[in-house]
Amino acid sequence: MRPDPVRPEGEGGAADMTLQDLIMNLQKFWAARGCYLAQPYDVEVGAGTMTPDTFFRVLDARPWRTAYVQPARRPADGRFGENPHRVQKHHQFQVIIKPSPADIQRMYLDSLSGLGIRLEDHDLRFDEDNWESPTIGSWGVGWQVMLDGLEISQFTYFQQAGGIDLPSVPVEITYGLERLAMFLEEKDDIYDLSWSADVSYRDLRHREEKEFSAYNFEEAGIKALRQQFGLFSREASRLIKRELLLPAYDMCLKCSHVFNLLDARGAISVTERVKLISEIRALVIQVARKYAGRKDETGEAGRT
Amino acid sequence: MSDFVLEIMTEELPVSHVLAGLGQLRENLASELHGAGLLPEGGVDVFGTCRRLVAKADISPRQSDRQERVIGPPRSAAFTEDGTPTPAAQGFARSRGVEVSRLEVYETEKGAYVGFTRTEEGRPAGDVLPEILTRVVSGLTFPKMMRWSDNPFRFSRPVVNLLCLVDGRPVSFRTCGLTSSDFTFGHKIFFPERKIYPRSFEDYRDSLRTAAVVIDPGERRARIEEGTRALLDPLGASVLADAGLMDKLVYDIENPYVFLGSFDEDYLRLPLEILSTAMREGQHLFSVVKSGRQIARFVGVADVRQDDRGHVRKGNERVLKARLKDADFFWQADLKVPLRKRAEGLKRVVFQEKLGSYADKAGRLKKLVVYLCGKIDAGRTKSEAVAAAELCKADLLTEMVREFPSLQGRMGGLLAERQGLSRAAARAIYEHYQPAGLEDASPSAPLGAVLSLADKLDSIVGVMGLGIQSTGSSDPFGLRRNAHGACKIILDRRWVLSFGRLVDMAFGAYGAKLSLPPAEGKAAVLDFFANRLRFIFERQGYRYDLVNAALGAGIDNILFARLRLEALNALRLSAQFEPFILMAKRVNNILRGEPACRVNAGLLVEKEEKALWDMFGMVKDNAAALCARGEFVPAQKMVFRLQPALNAFFDRVLVMAEEKKLRHNRLGMLQAVSRLLLQVADYSQVVVEGEAAGP
Repeated sequence: MRPDPVRPEGEGGAADMTLQDLIMNLQKFWAARGCYLAQPYDVEVGAGTMTPDTFFRVLDARPWRTAYVQPARRPADGRFGENPHRVQKHHQFQVIIKPSPADIQRMYLDSLSGLGIRLEDHDLRFDEDNWESPTIGSWGVGWQVMLDGLEISQFTYFQQAGGIDLPSVPVEITYGLERLAMFLEEKDDIYDLSWSADVSYRDLRHREEKEFSAYNFEEAGIKALRQQFGLFSREASRLIKRELLLPAYDMCLKCSHVFNLLDARGAISVTERVKLISEIRALVIQVARKYAGRKDETGEAGRT
Repeated sequence: MSDFVLEIMTEELPVSHVLAGLGQLRENLASELHGAGLLPEGGVDVFGTCRRLVAKADISPRQSDRQERVIGPPRSAAFTEDGTPTPAAQGFARSRGVEVSRLEVYETEKGAYVGFTRTEEGRPAGDVLPEILTRVVSGLTFPKMMRWSDNPFRFSRPVVNLLCLVDGRPVSFRTCGLTSSDFTFGHKIFFPERKIYPRSFEDYRDSLRTAAVVIDPGERRARIEEGTRALLDPLGASVLADAGLMDKLVYDIENPYVFLGSFDEDYLRLPLEILSTAMREGQHLFSVVKSGRQIARFVGVADVRQDDRGHVRKGNERVLKARLKDADFFWQADLKVPLRKRAEGLKRVVFQEKLGSYADKAGRLKKLVVYLCGKIDAGRTKSEAVAAAELCKADLLTEMVREFPSLQGRMGGLLAERQGLSRAAARAIYEHYQPAGLEDASPSAPLGAVLSLADKLDSIVGVMGLGIQSTGSSDPFGLRRNAHGACKIILDRRWVLSFGRLVDMAFGAYGAKLSLPPAEGKAAVLDFFANRLRFIFERQGYRYDLVNAALGAGIDNILFARLRLEALNALRLSAQFEPFILMAKRVNNILRGEPACRVNAGLLVEKEEKALWDMFGMVKDNAAALCARGEFVPAQKMVFRLQPALNAFFDRVLVMAEEKKLRHNRLGMLQAVSRLLLQVADYSQVVVEGEAAGP
């Protein structure tokens, strides 16, 4: 057991910090700044931004502060466990604060110091990187944060979500946990990371990466996936009519994941791609507009 | 003079936004200060980093007093003949609070009026500045704007502090949700909290330097260059020049330190393009070359000085190692798949939602390059051009381009060469995205130029054919960039071809995919190109009215448009030029609103009109032949020869004769002259002295 998650810095970083130390440290840091600690969402998503704790909560003007770990699934990024830094599932630490505080950049820097990174010894840069997700009608302005040349976070001021101009601007900070851990542990291979003192990333995830890569690229049933897409999409439409917006949004997330799987299988043609993406977008925008109490709920109006 | 300094402190601005902001500060602040009588001489100097936009000026401590005339009733109404003030004069004086005895008489354009002179006392700079600063700062615009917090204001990135001092004393103004202060902050890592209270601009600059911020971009650039030389001179090496990367580093880093790193020599088996891209993108590192060959080193610029443990160098080396390992893997894997096989997959890559796939695009490019090769006398290479068109987009499917999109084209060219395509075709693929802008070089060989022009025009025609336009600051699908590239290629290559027909071909290749009818689409594309050419020529420093005169004669032949412009520019100072312009305008004016008329030589009555017609007959054939060859200086000189005959004609012959037949005959003759002139240039667009600017 480790009594203190933050260790004094060794040669190049807090080299003894495990992934779970990192998570606990960030949780403690952001909880102390008023964030409610959410738990990972239980539907597959490609990014922490897509979970309801972010997607719905940014739509209105009410203050909101949350922080959570979210496993992010990107089926096409799988490499059968053979690539030292590419995986089809990684972990994000997501922070959403609305309205964005004036000293948010300072808070973020403090969170890095809190991990035992002596910023005076490193080159930390905020490099322009704006974010856009047409599938959920969202975009924002911000940076990728580079630490000695390694991208460790995304820092974004949301401007629009679900096709809606946001009345109160949220700031989103997404730490790439594996990236950050590789920096802290000075590891060149993701599978050499320590999740805890006794459990390595390899123990925990290597088999999963191998099997899911095989599923994503080779075994996923194309016909069944297409049927699922149709089922989830129709269900989303039906639920939207019934004003059951959170379940409807779950169906949209499922559509999105099924789409990603079909894409990894190379089963989507040009015209189909366009059609499926706009189908999801239309549903998501309807959900967002209804949730925000907008009258123009057609789903087309908010396209950017 | 007073020392004025303004600093807008923000979160990290992209370099293009810093440059946009500083440019506007310099212009707008100078013009506002000047307008307020606070900037009697000199301008506004600007400095900046990604975290601060800074303006400095020597301003007047107060506005000078202004004399203002207040005009009242006309003299005739204000005074009787013997000079007694009337009730009108008394009323005017009373309403303005002056004695009647102060009224004076002023001669104005409308006659003599009474009034008085009032002295408007100048206000101190500190009183005038707040309004100006609020207007200038809130009026700054950026390529992409954002809001933050619950703020209604928009800026490039959140504004965190405003500082404004005149002679060290704070000037308070409000904008972006902040009230300006008399302090600033230094480097965000080393001096995060300490407030700096400058007493002057010099003090501001020097205090920031001690707080690890160099505000002068020139000084930062020099430091990077000197630091690089100090590291590389001993190795006999230098960095691979990269102006874009240099600019980014100059502005991204407030306190630059250069460091040297290395990587495994095995990776030198990768092409230079790939190595340098892997280093530049993501990590912003310079490649190092010695005698033209890459060596296994890199130069980076960091915001901190390196200690002996070299965290920054080691961190960057570790990241680069992983990137090069990936790049090497991609390169080896991509080499194994023939481009022709890759190209089959283009069916599944979207070019544009409504315009279909890149396979569709490749099909259209084939038609366009065949057409173009015929037009520019590159017919022998037609088969190579077709092969390049078929394969030029195939690299979009390589792992390498997926990882480094900026390698598109170049990656295809590298693979094509290694997979045995002809050198010319491989080169064409390599260069077919060039030029990326007006500063970039055109493809080095005709084949690449053909392919690039076809590709750009196909994109423009497709997007505009869907009714999409570029407006204001938005340039959807890089329409302007593509148009600039297309124009540059034609001009650099000096190609003589009908642009209108090329546009027709491009529309034809799309078949029924486009939403605009071809005629309407073509008109939109030609209009767009005329505007782009105007932009290009004016940017090169040509007078706007000469540009209009050149473009007014048509842009079907883009090269000729420039040759016309060069000719106009060359002749603009000649003695014949202005009189001829005035004559040409006279011809156009008299023809305005008149029906088209025919000339019947038998109806020529007066000596002068016969002479003009004879002269016209001689000039016409010569000038037309010269125009057809693109020899516009002699063509212009040729039409100048009409001048004496036209002068005599206007002096002695009544164009608007009573008799309709005669009148129409004379108008017809002038119409023929006008048509001929329009082949040379649209002289009506030229502005001569004493004339109102612009049409």
